[in-house]
Amino acid sequence: MADESFDLVGCLERVRQRDQVAARQLVEHLHPLVSRIVRSHLPRRVAEEDLAQDIFLKMFTRLEQYQGNVPFPHWVSRIAVTTCIDQLRAQKRRPEFRWADLSENEAEVLDNVLTDERDVTPGDALAARELVHKLLDQLKPDDRLVIQLLDLEQKTIAEISALTGWNQTLVKVRAFRARRKLQKLFRELQSKEKS
Amino acid sequence: MNRFEHQWQKLIVLARQAPAAPAELPFGFATRVAAQAAGLPAAPWRSLERFALRGLLVAAACSMAAVAFNYSVLAADQADIYATGTADTVVELLDIS
Repeated sequence: MADESFDLVGCLERVRQRDQVAARQLVEHLHPLVSRIVRSHLPRRVAEEDLAQDIFLKMFTRLEQYQGNVPFPHWVSRIAVTTCIDQLRAQKRRPEFRWADLSENEAEVLDNVLTDERDVTPGDALAARELVHKLLDQLKPDDRLVIQLLDLEQKTIAEISALTGWNQTLVKVRAFRARRKLQKLFRELQSKEKS
Repeated sequence: MNRFEHQWQKLIVLARQAPAAPAELPFGFATRVAAQAAGLPAAPWRSLERFALRGLLVAAACSMAAVAFNYSVLAADQADIYATGTADTVVELLDIS
Protein backbone atom coordinates (compact mmCIF):
# COMPACT_ATOMS: atom_id res chain seq x y z
CA MET A 1 0.00 0.00 0.00
CA ALA A 2 1.36 3.40 -0.92
CA ASP A 3 0.43 5.42 2.17
CA GLU A 4 1.29 3.70 5.45
CA SER A 5 -0.04 6.60 7.54
CA PHE A 6 -3.54 6.26 6.09
CA ASP A 7 -6.19 6.05 8.83
CA LEU A 8 -8.10 3.07 7.49
CA VAL A 9 -10.30 2.54 10.55
CA GLY A 10 -11.39 6.19 10.64
CA CYS A 11 -11.94 6.21 6.91
CA LEU A 12 -14.13 3.07 7.07
CA GLU A 13 -16.17 4.64 9.85
CA ARG A 14 -16.81 7.73 7.73
CA VAL A 15 -17.64 5.62 4.66
CA ARG A 16 -20.25 3.79 6.74
CA GLN A 17 -21.78 7.18 7.50
CA ARG A 18 -22.07 7.76 3.71
CA ASP A 19 -19.19 10.24 3.54
CA GLN A 20 -18.30 10.49 -0.17
CA VAL A 21 -14.91 12.12 0.43
CA ALA A 22 -13.93 9.19 2.63
CA ALA A 23 -15.21 6.76 -0.01
CA ARG A 24 -13.01 8.47 -2.61
CA GLN A 25 -9.99 8.32 -0.29
CA LEU A 26 -10.61 4.63 0.34
CA VAL A 27 -10.69 3.91 -3.40
CA GLU A 28 -7.47 5.88 -3.91
CA HIS A 29 -5.82 4.01 -1.04
CA LEU A 30 -6.82 0.54 -2.21
CA HIS A 31 -6.42 1.08 -5.95
CA PRO A 32 -2.80 -0.20 -6.19
CA LEU A 33 -3.79 -3.44 -4.45
CA VAL A 34 -6.93 -4.00 -6.54
CA SER A 35 -5.14 -3.02 -9.74
CA ARG A 36 -2.36 -5.55 -9.10
CA ILE A 37 -4.86 -8.36 -8.56
CA VAL A 38 -6.91 -7.37 -11.60
CA ARG A 39 -3.83 -7.31 -13.83
CA SER A 40 -2.73 -10.73 -12.63
CA HIS A 41 -6.08 -12.37 -13.25
CA LEU A 42 -7.58 -10.18 -15.94
CA PRO A 43 -9.86 -12.18 -18.22
CA ARG A 44 -9.55 -11.56 -21.93
CA ARG A 45 -11.66 -8.75 -23.39
CA VAL A 46 -12.48 -7.27 -20.00
CA ALA A 47 -11.18 -3.76 -19.40
CA GLU A 48 -9.02 -3.41 -16.31
CA GLU A 49 -10.84 -0.25 -15.22
CA ASP A 50 -14.30 -1.83 -15.53
CA LEU A 51 -13.26 -4.82 -13.46
CA ALA A 52 -11.64 -2.63 -10.79
CA GLN A 53 -14.83 -0.57 -10.64
CA ASP A 54 -16.96 -3.71 -10.14
CA ILE A 55 -14.68 -4.80 -7.31
CA PHE A 56 -14.92 -1.45 -5.53
CA LEU A 57 -18.71 -1.34 -5.89
CA LYS A 58 -18.96 -4.85 -4.42
CA MET A 59 -16.72 -3.71 -1.59
CA PHE A 60 -19.01 -0.77 -0.78
CA THR A 61 -22.15 -2.91 -1.04
CA ARG A 62 -20.77 -5.50 1.38
CA LEU A 63 -19.04 -3.10 3.74
CA GLU A 64 -21.61 -3.73 6.49
CA GLN A 65 -20.61 -7.40 6.44
CA TYR A 66 -16.96 -6.63 7.25
CA GLN A 67 -16.45 -7.49 10.91
CA GLY A 68 -12.72 -6.92 11.24
CA ASN A 69 -11.78 -10.61 11.62
CA VAL A 70 -9.12 -10.19 8.93
CA PRO A 71 -7.23 -7.04 7.88
CA PHE A 72 -9.35 -4.94 5.54
CA PRO A 73 -6.95 -5.23 2.55
CA HIS A 74 -7.14 -9.04 2.82
CA TRP A 75 -10.93 -8.84 2.79
CA VAL A 76 -10.83 -6.61 -0.30
CA SER A 77 -8.29 -8.95 -1.96
CA ARG A 78 -10.71 -11.81 -1.54
CA ILE A 79 -13.50 -9.81 -3.18
CA ALA A 80 -11.12 -8.92 -6.02
CA VAL A 81 -10.02 -12.52 -6.59
CA THR A 82 -13.56 -13.91 -6.54
CA THR A 83 -14.76 -11.17 -8.91
CA CYS A 84 -11.95 -11.99 -11.35
CA ILE A 85 -12.71 -15.68 -11.18
CA ASP A 86 -16.42 -15.06 -11.79
CA GLN A 87 -15.44 -13.13 -14.91
CA LEU A 88 -13.12 -15.93 -16.03
CA ARG A 89 -15.85 -18.52 -15.51
CA ALA A 90 -18.21 -16.41 -17.61
CA GLN A 91 -15.81 -16.81 -20.52
CA LYS A 92 -16.45 -20.45 -21.24
CA ARG A 93 -14.61 -20.70 -24.55
CA ARG A 94 -10.87 -20.67 -24.34
CA PRO A 95 -8.92 -19.85 -27.50
CA GLU A 96 -6.78 -22.65 -28.88
CA PHE A 97 -3.09 -22.22 -28.23
CA ARG A 98 -1.20 -21.95 -31.53
CA TRP A 99 2.39 -21.16 -32.40
CA ALA A 100 1.11 -18.79 -35.10
CA ASP A 101 -0.51 -16.53 -32.48
CA LEU A 102 2.73 -15.98 -30.60
CA SER A 103 4.87 -12.91 -31.12
CA GLU A 104 8.42 -13.41 -32.37
CA ASN A 105 9.83 -12.98 -28.85
CA GLU A 106 7.27 -15.31 -27.27
CA ALA A 107 7.96 -18.01 -29.87
CA GLU A 108 11.67 -17.64 -29.27
CA VAL A 109 11.30 -17.95 -25.50
CA LEU A 110 9.06 -20.99 -25.86
CA ASP A 111 11.51 -22.58 -28.27
CA ASN A 112 14.37 -22.01 -25.84
CA VAL A 113 12.41 -23.44 -22.95
CA LEU A 114 11.26 -26.51 -24.87
CA THR A 115 14.51 -27.37 -26.61
CA ASP A 116 16.81 -26.33 -23.78
CA GLU A 117 19.36 -25.30 -26.40
CA ARG A 118 20.02 -21.77 -25.19
CA ASP A 119 19.65 -20.20 -21.77
CA VAL A 120 16.90 -17.62 -21.58
CA THR A 121 17.99 -14.09 -20.72
CA PRO A 122 16.36 -11.52 -18.41
CA GLY A 123 15.57 -9.52 -21.53
CA ASP A 124 13.04 -12.23 -22.41
CA ALA A 125 11.09 -11.68 -19.18
CA LEU A 126 8.22 -9.67 -20.67
CA ALA A 127 7.74 -12.15 -23.49
CA ALA A 128 7.90 -14.99 -20.96
CA ARG A 129 5.18 -13.37 -18.85
CA GLU A 130 2.92 -12.94 -21.88
CA LEU A 131 3.60 -16.52 -22.86
CA VAL A 132 2.75 -17.81 -19.38
CA HIS A 133 -0.54 -15.89 -19.46
CA LYS A 134 -1.39 -17.40 -22.84
CA LEU A 135 -0.63 -20.87 -21.51
CA LEU A 136 -2.67 -20.25 -18.37
CA ASP A 137 -5.58 -19.14 -20.54
CA GLN A 138 -5.83 -22.77 -21.65
CA LEU A 139 -6.69 -23.90 -18.13
CA LYS A 140 -10.01 -23.94 -16.34
CA PRO A 141 -10.49 -20.65 -14.44
CA ASP A 142 -10.12 -22.20 -10.98
CA ASP A 143 -7.00 -24.16 -11.98
CA ARG A 144 -5.57 -21.07 -13.66
CA LEU A 145 -6.02 -19.05 -10.52
CA VAL A 146 -4.24 -21.63 -8.38
CA ILE A 147 -1.21 -21.84 -10.70
CA GLN A 148 -1.09 -18.06 -11.01
CA LEU A 149 -1.02 -17.63 -7.24
CA LEU A 150 1.24 -20.60 -6.55
CA ASP A 151 3.88 -20.25 -9.26
CA LEU A 152 3.80 -16.64 -10.41
CA GLU A 153 2.96 -14.93 -7.12
CA GLN A 154 4.68 -17.59 -4.99
CA LYS A 155 1.91 -17.80 -2.43
CA THR A 156 1.65 -20.79 -0.11
CA ILE A 157 -1.21 -23.31 -0.21
CA ALA A 158 -2.49 -21.84 3.07
CA GLU A 159 -2.47 -18.31 1.66
CA ILE A 160 -4.32 -19.43 -1.48
CA SER A 161 -6.84 -21.23 0.70
CA ALA A 162 -7.44 -18.08 2.73
CA LEU A 163 -7.70 -15.91 -0.36
CA THR A 164 -10.10 -18.12 -2.31
CA GLY A 165 -12.05 -19.79 0.49
CA TRP A 166 -11.21 -23.25 -0.95
CA ASN A 167 -9.83 -25.86 1.44
CA GLN A 168 -6.15 -26.80 1.14
CA THR A 169 -6.83 -30.24 -0.35
CA LEU A 170 -8.91 -28.66 -3.11
CA VAL A 171 -6.13 -26.17 -3.85
CA LYS A 172 -3.62 -29.05 -4.13
CA VAL A 173 -5.95 -31.02 -6.40
CA ARG A 174 -6.44 -28.00 -8.65
CA ALA A 175 -2.68 -27.38 -8.80
CA PHE A 176 -2.07 -31.01 -9.71
CA ARG A 177 -4.77 -30.94 -12.40
CA ALA A 178 -3.41 -27.68 -13.83
CA ARG A 179 0.16 -29.00 -14.01
CA ARG A 180 -1.00 -32.15 -15.77
CA LYS A 181 -2.85 -30.05 -18.35
CA LEU A 182 0.20 -27.82 -18.84
CA GLN A 183 2.40 -30.87 -19.24
CA LYS A 184 0.07 -32.18 -21.95
CA LEU A 185 0.18 -28.80 -23.63
CA PHE A 186 3.98 -28.77 -23.56
CA ARG A 187 4.08 -32.28 -25.09
CA GLU A 188 1.74 -31.18 -27.88
CA LEU A 189 3.84 -28.10 -28.56
CA GLN A 190 7.02 -30.15 -28.69
CA SER A 191 5.51 -32.63 -31.14
CA LYS A 192 4.24 -29.77 -33.32
CA GLU A 193 7.64 -28.17 -33.23
CA LYS A 194 9.36 -31.37 -34.30
CA SER A 195 6.94 -32.01 -37.16
CA MET B 1 12.44 -32.99 -11.29
CA ASN B 2 11.03 -34.28 -14.57
CA ARG B 3 11.52 -32.61 -17.92
CA PHE B 4 8.23 -30.71 -17.86
CA GLU B 5 8.87 -29.37 -14.33
CA HIS B 6 12.29 -28.18 -15.42
CA GLN B 7 10.85 -26.40 -18.48
CA TRP B 8 7.96 -24.91 -16.57
CA GLN B 9 10.17 -23.66 -13.73
CA LYS B 10 12.55 -22.10 -16.24
CA LEU B 11 9.70 -20.26 -17.91
CA ILE B 12 8.00 -19.19 -14.69
CA VAL B 13 11.23 -17.89 -13.10
CA LEU B 14 11.81 -15.77 -16.18
CA ALA B 15 8.19 -14.54 -16.19
CA ARG B 16 8.48 -13.46 -12.56
CA GLN B 17 11.38 -11.19 -13.50
CA ALA B 18 9.16 -9.10 -15.79
CA PRO B 19 8.74 -5.60 -14.32
CA ALA B 20 5.23 -4.75 -13.16
CA ALA B 21 3.63 -1.83 -14.94
CA PRO B 22 2.85 1.07 -12.55
CA ALA B 23 -0.73 1.05 -11.33
CA GLU B 24 -1.86 4.57 -12.16
CA LEU B 25 -5.26 5.67 -10.93
CA PRO B 26 -7.34 6.69 -13.98
CA PHE B 27 -8.43 10.34 -13.90
CA GLY B 28 -11.69 10.77 -11.96
CA PHE B 29 -11.91 7.05 -11.17
CA ALA B 30 -12.16 7.38 -7.38
CA THR B 31 -14.75 10.19 -7.61
CA ARG B 32 -16.84 8.22 -10.11
CA VAL B 33 -16.77 5.04 -8.01
CA ALA B 34 -17.57 6.93 -4.79
CA ALA B 35 -20.54 8.65 -6.48
CA GLN B 36 -21.85 5.32 -7.80
CA ALA B 37 -21.40 3.72 -4.38
CA ALA B 38 -23.47 6.52 -2.81
CA GLY B 39 -26.33 5.71 -5.18
CA LEU B 40 -26.28 2.00 -4.46
CA PRO B 41 -29.33 0.48 -2.78
CA ALA B 42 -28.88 -1.18 0.58
CA ALA B 43 -27.45 -4.69 0.45
CA PRO B 44 -30.17 -7.34 -0.20
CA TRP B 45 -29.43 -9.19 3.03
CA ARG B 46 -30.26 -6.05 5.01
CA SER B 47 -33.69 -5.81 3.36
CA LEU B 48 -34.25 -9.51 4.07
CA GLU B 49 -33.19 -8.98 7.65
CA ARG B 50 -35.69 -6.12 8.01
CA PHE B 51 -38.50 -8.22 6.47
CA ALA B 52 -37.61 -11.20 8.66
CA LEU B 53 -37.78 -9.06 11.81
CA ARG B 54 -41.13 -7.63 10.80
CA GLY B 55 -42.37 -11.15 10.03
CA LEU B 56 -41.27 -12.33 13.45
CA LEU B 57 -43.11 -9.49 15.20
CA VAL B 58 -46.31 -10.08 13.20
CA ALA B 59 -46.13 -13.84 13.85
CA ALA B 60 -45.68 -13.25 17.60
CA ALA B 61 -48.61 -10.82 17.68
CA CYS B 62 -50.84 -13.30 15.77
CA SER B 63 -49.90 -16.14 18.16
CA MET B 64 -50.73 -14.06 21.22
CA ALA B 65 -54.01 -12.91 19.72
CA ALA B 66 -54.95 -16.50 18.83
CA VAL B 67 -54.21 -17.72 22.37
CA ALA B 68 -56.12 -14.82 23.92
CA PHE B 69 -59.11 -15.29 21.60
CA ASN B 70 -59.36 -19.05 22.24
CA TYR B 71 -58.40 -19.01 25.90
CA SER B 72 -61.88 -19.94 27.13
CA VAL B 73 -62.07 -22.94 24.73
CA LEU B 74 -58.60 -24.17 25.72
CA ALA B 75 -59.38 -23.78 29.41
CA ALA B 76 -62.69 -25.66 29.02
CA ASP B 77 -60.93 -28.57 27.23
CA GLN B 78 -58.49 -28.90 30.10
CA ALA B 79 -61.35 -28.86 32.59
CA ASP B 80 -63.13 -31.66 30.62
CA ILE B 81 -60.02 -33.84 30.71
CA TYR B 82 -59.70 -33.53 34.47
CA ALA B 83 -63.41 -34.08 34.87
CA THR B 84 -63.13 -37.63 33.37
CA GLY B 85 -61.04 -38.65 36.34
CA THR B 86 -57.97 -39.57 34.31
CA ALA B 87 -55.66 -37.54 32.20
CA ASP B 88 -54.09 -40.59 30.61
CA THR B 89 -55.86 -41.33 27.34
CA VAL B 90 -53.96 -44.61 26.80
CA VAL B 91 -54.98 -45.96 30.19
CA GLU B 92 -58.53 -44.93 29.50
CA LEU B 93 -58.68 -46.61 26.10
CA LEU B 94 -57.11 -49.86 27.30
CA ASP B 95 -59.27 -49.80 30.44
CA ILE B 96 -56.44 -51.02 32.67
CA SER B 97 -56.87 -48.59 35.52
